[in-house]
Formats: sequence, structure tokens, C-alpha cells
Amino acid sequence: MAYALVALGFVLALNAAGAVNFAHGDLVVLGGAIAVVAGQSTGLAAPLLLPLVALALGCAGIVAARVAILPLAARPPEATFVATIALAAIIEHGLTVTLGAAPRTAPALVGSGSFDIAGVALGRQPLAIVVVGGVLVAGVWFLLERTQVGRRMRAVSSDRHMARAVGIPVGRYIMLSLALAGALAGIAGLLLGHQFLVAPTQGAGHMLKAYIAVALGGWGSVPGALLGALGIGFFETFVSAGFGDAWASVALYVGVLVVLAFRPQGLFGEPAGRRA
Amino acid sequence: MRPLGALWLAALLALPFFALAVLPPFGQRMVTLVGIYALMGLGYQLVFGQLGALNLAQGALFGVGAYAAALAAPALGVLALPVAILAASLPAALAAGPVLRLQSHYFALATLALASIVNLIAVHAEGLTGGANGISGFASVLPRGPVLLAMVWTCLIATVLIYVHLFRGRLGDEARLLREAPLVAATLGIDGGRWRLAAFVAGGALAGLAGAFSAAISGVVSPDVTGFPVMVLCLTSVVVGGSRHPMGAVVGALLAVCLPEILRDFQDAWLLVYAVATLAIVRWAPGGIAELIDRLRGARSPAPNNPTVPQLMPAVSGAQRLVLDNVVKRFGGVDALAGVSFAVGRGEIVGLIGPNGSGKTTLLNVIGGLDRADSGAITLDDAHLECLPPHAIARKGLGRTFQTLMLEGDTRSADLARAVATGAIFLLLDEPAAGATDRERGQLASLLHRLRDAGRGIVIVDHDIELLTRVCDRLVCLDRGRVIAIGRPAEVRADPQVRASFLGLAEVAA
Repeated sequence: MAYALVALGFVLALNAAGAVNFAHGDLVVLGGAIAVVAGQSTGLAAPLLLPLVALALGCAGIVAARVAILPLAARPPEATFVATIALAAIIEHGLTVTLGAAPRTAPALVGSGSFDIAGVALGRQPLAIVVVGGVLVAGVWFLLERTQVGRRMRAVSSDRHMARAVGIPVGRYIMLSLALAGALAGIAGLLLGHQFLVAPTQGAGHMLKAYIAVALGGWGSVPGALLGALGIGFFETFVSAGFGDAWASVALYVGVLVVLAFRPQGLFGEPAGRRA
Repeated sequence: MRPLGALWLAALLALPFFALAVLPPFGQRMVTLVGIYALMGLGYQLVFGQLGALNLAQGALFGVGAYAAALAAPALGVLALPVAILAASLPAALAAGPVLRLQSHYFALATLALASIVNLIAVHAEGLTGGANGISGFASVLPRGPVLLAMVWTCLIATVLIYVHLFRGRLGDEARLLREAPLVAATLGIDGGRWRLAAFVAGGALAGLAGAFSAAISGVVSPDVTGFPVMVLCLTSVVVGGSRHPMGAVVGALLAVCLPEILRDFQDAWLLVYAVATLAIVRWAPGGIAELIDRLRGARSPAPNNPTVPQLMPAVSGAQRLVLDNVVKRFGGVDALAGVSFAVGRGEIVGLIGPNGSGKTTLLNVIGGLDRADSGAITLDDAHLECLPPHAIARKGLGRTFQTLMLEGDTRSADLARAVATGAIFLLLDEPAAGATDRERGQLASLLHRLRDAGRGIVIVDHDIELLTRVCDRLVCLDRGRVIAIGRPAEVRADPQVRASFLGLAEVAA
């Protein structure tokens, strides 16, 4: 479910910017790191940290938009790719310099322990992640599909020039999308940070998973990205249970190459004319 | 691309000699490293700089070269270097087929997945690669110290000179066109697929060679050489140095090797500095530092000369007739072309008219191969065109121009000049008069007549019916994908069906 949040933020940023945000994975890590530091210094419980991290990363998303995305809007997408890769490296090495390279643990969302539901033991922590993730996904869906703000965000992502022509302040909505993407990344970082620890070098891995989820699910499609992320989660869990982590990843990447070779429009198709 | 210039050449040649003569072994080692990174970066420029495709597998190919050299060295000695080149260019060639057809973001993802697979194999296939410990103890048979420095820099200087030589001429223009206007490139007969394959494989070969040298200098090969940080370093150094400038990779590599020494008290801070510099370069100086230096020295790129169509048209030899037979093109459920047939001979100007959406531009696209006909035949004398890719059609003698809105920053006359300059026998012109002044229309008309007199066949689409009536030998009127009238301009304009569907209102009002 946390993958789904990462992928959701990734696809929002992607649609708004019209190009891949390679710094997205590092925003996730940054969220985890802020949770670690804030948790230690303030002693706040994780549920209270959640909005704090979301806010901080929302701001980080705006900074990312202003530094690496908006100024390059008129250039080929490769310029944005490179700028966001540089941004990712800045975040990664900035964290290494300030916090050190050693992994740390983010505070747990709820206490440990498990429920018994119909004889199946469910950990409280994973359950809480699923609940938070589900609520956020539903919230984003509501925002995009049922509010004026969301309609405008979708208008900006589907045709920037047309949106500007009908009077939508495009730059502001791109920043808003990036802020939302950043907030989702931050929350995902907090959620992942307890179970998988937080280390500066994880960013590329998070980014790659989200990238794959979006490519498999259909470029630019929000439900496709969620399905893709869940698919990757299940795939990794089951294949790594059978063959070990590394070969699960190899199988995943080979799968991606095969899909790209034979169905370059993604498993569920791609809205026409949306190639970044 | 302009020639390298004396200053750059001097710097390129002086650095290795200076290192060999003056520097202590530690300094020589650094200069060797610069050469190695520059070789990898130069290979990277071919795909990233010249074609503008974000290749994220270069670091992994560098690693493949390093492993291949480490594995082959005990048995083959120095011959391990060519083996490494082969080992890196082979996966590049294999992957190229499916990968190079992809568009920008999928290309980046596919190359990233490829790189991740290489990295995972390096870590986990312990029997072959030694796992996380890597391979060591092979370096004694490979060149070291000053010999290695000389070898690396000889390769580098040779590659830079070849690169400048190749890209100064036609190849550089082709690359620019493929990067900035792939459609135009195809209609001028440039085979983008073959070009990209060559660039990708050559880039991989250089990465492999650089990887082999790096194995020789470090004496150990571990999975780190295939990792993403190597890729990021390669990308950032090429961007910082200059992604198309022949010295860009060298300048970037020089910084990447020297910065960590200057900032050695601040651990990873140099990577931070480098990342910030990359971002700044992308935003404010996309040409990179090498080009910035050129600009400060006052060297300017040669001003683009405005191409014009020559006054005297040379005669061209080749096919005599372009024939369309029952051509059909469907978009979803819509018949954009519902069985179009007509023929154009040499020395003939045929005007295509019809209301908006009647299929005029689609017809030009289908003839030129940019869209594929669903059925029907398009022949140039006996040669069938309907199954050929655009560049092959262009080479058979078909040139075309585009509507001006499809060509940002390009002028109409340049577009037309380009199409004529290919030596095309048949020209397809899409709204060449749109937005033109009366004087320009007059010039266009006389140009078309000169082309006709020089034995070209022309199909022209335009909304200026008066112009077409004046210059065309025949008009073809399309309506909803069908030919509703064909004949001499006056006949077609008098046709009741044509008047009803297209001219109707205008002529009644007149």
C-alpha cells in the first residue's frame, strides 16, 4: 500500500510536469528522514508526525517544481529528467552529509501487536499502513474527480496550453500537484521508514518501483499506477518467497523489458497523445 | 559543430605529457582516471548529447567492460581490452532492437531496468562475478602506471579527433535533425533506426573500453562499478562539461576527478556540489562548461546561412509516374481516405483541394509513409511504396514539406529548399502558401513553374484556390476521403459537386 502512495505521487507529478520526476524516490526518503529527526527531537507520536511530514514535503515538492520543473517547461523532457536526477543527487548527498549514511528507523505508526480476525493474524502496523494508504488514495481520488481544484489539475495535465487559454494559472496548478505529490511521498516515507528503515541511498529504488508501476499500469493513468504498484507488491512478495529477493527483482526488470518490447503502451494502454 | 580549435587541442595533448613528465604517480593516476571517465562520457555523448535520448545503461555497460576485462585478463593479457569492448557492445546491440524504438520516458525506464539487471547479476551470480567481494588479482598482466596513462590518453585523443571529424560534416547535421525534428529527418531520407543503433553500440563500446581501463587501474572489480552512482556520475559530468561539445566529456571528467580531492575534508560534499552544479548548468547554460569557455573566448558558432532554392534547377533522373490506386486509410471508425486514386507525372503540378478534414494532409502522409495505408497501392513506376518506411520512400525520390505550424522556428522557404535539395523527383507540399504575403505567393508560383520545367512532379495542398488555379495543371477535389472531381482547374471549379461541398458558399457570395 505504501508503494501505491509512492506511485500515486509519482503519477501526479508526472502528469503535471509532463516529464518523469526522478527526484520522487528521494522525496520519499526525505520524508522518512524528517520523520526520524522530528520524532527524536520532539518526541511526538507518529500519528501527529504524519501531518507535519506531509506539510514539510509538500513544501519540498513546491521547491522541486520551482527549481527543476517549471523553468524547464519549454525544453525537451530530457532536460527535466536531468534536472530532477541532479535534484535527487542533491537530496541524497545532502542527507548523507547531514545525517550520515547509516540506516535509521522511523517511528512506528501504532504500537506493535496483532489482531485476530477470523483466525488470521494481522499485524497492527501493516494494517494501519493499509488504512492510512486507503484513506489517502480515496482522498486524492475525491480531490481529482469531484472538486473544481481537481478538475483544473487534470486540465493542466492533459493539455497545458489549452488550460492556459481558458484562464487556469498553469504554473500554480503544477506547483500544487507537485506539493500534493511531495506530501504523499513524505507520508509514504514515514510509513515505509519503520519497516524498511531510512537510508539516503534508497531513493533510486523507490523511484524505479514507481516508474515501473506507472509504465505497466498505463502512462499517466492514476488507477493504472495504483494497480501497477499493488501488482509489483504482490509479485515481489510471492516471487521472493519462492526464489529470494534478488531473483525476484531480476524477474521484475526482465518482465518490464518484455512488456516494453511487446506492448510499449503499457499493459492497460495509454491515453493518446500523452507521451512526455 | 565547429573544428576543435588550437586551444582545446593543445590542452588535450598537453595534459598527458605534462602528467608523464612532471606529476608524481598519484597525479598520474588522477590524469588516467580523467581519461577513463572522459572515454565513457564521450560514448555517452553519442546517445545522450547527439540524439537527445536519456540512456541510463551506460554505467552498467562500463561495469560489463570492467568485469569482462577482469575475467579475460588472466588468460589473454592485454587482449582482454578488445574483449571488454565486445562484451559491452554486444548487450548494447542485442538490447538496441526493442529498446531504441521506445519514446523518451520508456527508453529511460528500459535502460534503467537493463542496468539494474546487470547490477543484480554482478552482486548475486557469485560463481561468475565473485559476488559482493568482486574479482581481484588479475591486474598484473594488464598495463599499469605510465603505460596505462599513455594508452588511455591515446585512445581518448583519437576518439575526440574522430568524433570532431565525423560530426563536423553531414553526420552532425543528421544528428541535429533526428534530435529536433525526427519527422523531417525521415522525409529527407535519414534512417533514424540505423543511426540510433550505431550510436548506441559505439557508445557501449567506449563504455566497455573505459570499464576495462578502470579495472586495470584499480586492480579490483566489484559490483559497485555497475551501480547507479557510476551512471549518475557519467550523466552529470557530461552535462556539466557539455553534452555535445567534443571536449565536454573531458572537462566534466576533469572536474569529477579533481573536485573530490579539493573537497576531501567534507566527505560526500563534492557529490553535493557536483549535483548543484549540474542543476545550475541545465537551467542556465545547457551547452555546458566547455561551450561556456568557448563563448567567453569569443568563439561563435557559425551563423546559420538561410537556405534558398537555387535559381537553376538541375534535372533529375529516375521514376516517371507516381500512381495512387484505391488508397484507404481509417482512423478508428472514420474513413479518412476512402479509396483515392489518381496519378501524377513528371512535369505536372496537381493541386489537392477540399474542405477541412477531407483527407488532404492524411493523403500526403500516406504517400510519404508517415501514415500507413490500410489498403490500396502507391507506386513509383514499378516500385511499391506502401510498405516502405518514410526514409526509404524519401530515398526513392519523394520529398515533402510540412504545414508551418508543425515546424517551430523553421521558415517555409527553408523547408521547401530542404525538400528540393534532396533531389526529389516528386514533391509533396503541404500548405506552402499559408500565411504568405502576395509577393511571397508570386515567388512560390514562379518557383513551382521552374520545378515543373525541370521535370519534377508536384502535389500541392493549399487553401488559396486562386493560386492553385494559376499554377496547377490539374486539381483533385477531396470530400470526406473521396475524390469527387478531378481535371483542369476551370473544370473542377465549375463542377456542381465541388461548388456544393467546398466552393459553394464563397462563390455564391462572390
